[in-house]
Amino acid sequence: MNDDVRCEPRSRRLRPTRLIALGAALSLLVAACGGGRSNSDNGTTTNPTTASSGSTPSTSVIDTSQCDPSTLTQGITGNTIKIGTSLPLSGTYSAFSGILQGETAYFDYINALGGVTVAGKKYQIKLVSKDDAYDAAQTSTNVDSLINSDKVFALFNNVGTKNNLGIRETVNSDCVPNLLIASGAVQWGNPKYPWMLGSELVPYPLEMQEFVNYLKKNKPNAKIALLYANDDFGQSYQQSLEQLVKGTSLSIVKQASYNAEGSDVKAQVTDLAASKADTFVLGGTLLACPNALNAAHDAGWKPLTYMSGTCVSKLLFQLGGAGADGVISVTPLMDPADPANASNPAVQLYKQQVAKYQPKADTGDGIVAYGWSTAALMQKILEASPKLDRVSVMETARTLKGIKDTGLQLPGSTWDTSKTDWFVGETFQLVKYNRAEGHSDPIGTITDLDGKTAELSPPSLLKS
Amino acid sequence: MTADRIRIVRAVVAIALVVAAAYVFGWYIPQFYESTTTYLWAEAFYIGVAAMGLNLLTGYNGQVSIGHGAFFGLGMYTTAILMESHNWPFVATLPVVALITFGVGVLVGFPALRVKGLYLALVTLVLAVLFPELTNRFVPHDLCKTCGTSQVGELARSKLRPPSWVPHFVGANDQWAYYAALVVAVVGLVVLALLVRSRFGRALIAVRDHEAAAETVGINIARVKVIAFATSALYAGVAGSCFVLVKRLATASSVSTFQLSIEFLVAVVIGGTATVLGPFVGGVIVVFSGRYISESFPSTLLFWHIDDSVKNLLSPAIYGIGLILLMYVLPDGIVGGGRRVGITAWRNLRRRKRAPAAR
Repeated sequence: MNDDVRCEPRSRRLRPTRLIALGAALSLLVAACGGGRSNSDNGTTTNPTTASSGSTPSTSVIDTSQCDPSTLTQGITGNTIKIGTSLPLSGTYSAFSGILQGETAYFDYINALGGVTVAGKKYQIKLVSKDDAYDAAQTSTNVDSLINSDKVFALFNNVGTKNNLGIRETVNSDCVPNLLIASGAVQWGNPKYPWMLGSELVPYPLEMQEFVNYLKKNKPNAKIALLYANDDFGQSYQQSLEQLVKGTSLSIVKQASYNAEGSDVKAQVTDLAASKADTFVLGGTLLACPNALNAAHDAGWKPLTYMSGTCVSKLLFQLGGAGADGVISVTPLMDPADPANASNPAVQLYKQQVAKYQPKADTGDGIVAYGWSTAALMQKILEASPKLDRVSVMETARTLKGIKDTGLQLPGSTWDTSKTDWFVGETFQLVKYNRAEGHSDPIGTITDLDGKTAELSPPSLLKS
Repeated sequence: MTADRIRIVRAVVAIALVVAAAYVFGWYIPQFYESTTTYLWAEAFYIGVAAMGLNLLTGYNGQVSIGHGAFFGLGMYTTAILMESHNWPFVATLPVVALITFGVGVLVGFPALRVKGLYLALVTLVLAVLFPELTNRFVPHDLCKTCGTSQVGELARSKLRPPSWVPHFVGANDQWAYYAALVVAVVGLVVLALLVRSRFGRALIAVRDHEAAAETVGINIARVKVIAFATSALYAGVAGSCFVLVKRLATASSVSTFQLSIEFLVAVVIGGTATVLGPFVGGVIVVFSGRYISESFPSTLLFWHIDDSVKNLLSPAIYGIGLILLMYVLPDGIVGGGRRVGITAWRNLRRRKRAPAAR
């Protein structure tokens, strides 16, 4: 350094006042002790010594030894059950807010009738919703706030695969039921995380299984091009399809992934179109679906297209334009836009009540119908529970028997779970979109793969 | 009033303020509020720390970066990987993060010497764009299940517990995250305060104000700029480490959408560029305002019913308008502007007092 240069600051040492202030601050920081919050109920260093002894049925699939018994009935005050949900209400994925419209309409409807009956008592359902814009870090914050500030009884229909993967340690250690997750990922079958349960959405590997069966029958030499989101959700499709295609005359000729943060898929689809594939599997969600259909149409590519069941929505089909005609998908629910279903009393009730409580919602949209039906399933789980506490409700959700006619559930289908089968949406219908009439037509009969998800899924996904 | 008495009064006021702040932040918030609030404050602290670092670069040294989210992400990933796959305690990851981010900061800082102003901003933009792509490609999912833009898991609760050596009052996981972020923020603040008053700090400002003049008085411009860049990267990295304790996962989504990088810059500008405390205040405002604008928004305004979809559109708009107004009224930020207003008021007061005596 140049010693003759003086860039001396005005005072190099700390002024005494600043030093004293600093000392005071630090000493207070260190010296403070004793006292505490009224209830520090999350993750305390000392484990609760007593488990919920006696309250656990002998058929228990859930280890409750780490649970704090005092929180088992949190969220139930008087005749109200408070439940929480985190989902995208803003941003690229905001179209999922239709789910909340459907749920809210259902709970308003059921509350007006007196509420749900659990163990002989009537309860009102209060749903607290928080926006996470599909960002897993925000979901984590929302869920923490739902559990510890809003003090909800259970989490309900949280949207997104990565968003729910990002909270599973929390719900596990806080012993909070995370019921009816809005994702068909098979990770919800991981026995290490018993507080997670997927909704009636068809597990993604089953979607692939169903479509591969369809191809084997109708197009045995199909050359498949695959587009998938580069996240856990998209990879479920990719890994399942790769596994299912092995040993068949089907082949995947080209794959491309897109950035799940956005919905821009044009370049990928143009690439896939150039591969001369005659079949297109679209493992994306929301706006990526219509974008991909449009891009394929623009490229003059006319493959047989399969689209993720998460995109079965009137709005998304409409956005897909001419490219949406004839697109195949699966759904566990009736299409509310199909005139053939118009006389069905369940559809009529749905349209009437959603129009009453959520006048701005589009009753023809499958996303709204999904919210409505999932809320109805939630009611059934609560009402089937012998007692109103977290363990009983979770055990009940894991042992559902012959659930029928829930919301817009397909007539004649049943939803079951058991100790060994942790998936609800294993009964579904293959559908084909009819653009001229603006709704989906069923192909064949209802498929029932109850209890098959585990064996049909890539093991790496199940365990992750 | 003599100069000595003024100094004593100022010292007393300063001590009182600091004691009050220490009580509120060191005791009241973490001990009497639920985890929602403590996590939110911890978030404010680490955003503040990253903003402090950016302020050193932008405010004191005049280099603009909109890619500090990448350094934040680097710190986040390093801590998450070490904690998850190698069972390191959180505190032990901090020096590693500091070293790595400082080192990468030096590497990036060298090419940054060649470009200035907006061009540098563009170069740093590349960092933020590259980070999620690189980590998606080169960080295997098995190594870090809690990392990713896409594949995220949650860090096991047991690894987020406070270590055994901390005092008993740091009881729950959220309190540990809070105190860790607070200590990082306080240390960061003190180091920054000392740094900008040192010979190096003067050199930073000299380089910012007039590079040629600074060079003629013998300041090694290259070294000053690179160290400024690396130090600010270090701040961002350590802030990223705190993110892991608070959010219990590592995700590059907010890096890829520039949300973080922009938040840091906004925090610096709101709080006041080239002020020690400013970015910290800015960080608190950035974290809390976004949340409260949307939550406390009324459902009916005069005759209009405002439903949630409109609220979601309006709250960022209000945030933006608020920012513009603030920049219009206090262009030097809250701390800078506050100081300016305070000094003017003080002078006026003294002039008015002196005036009768002069008559």
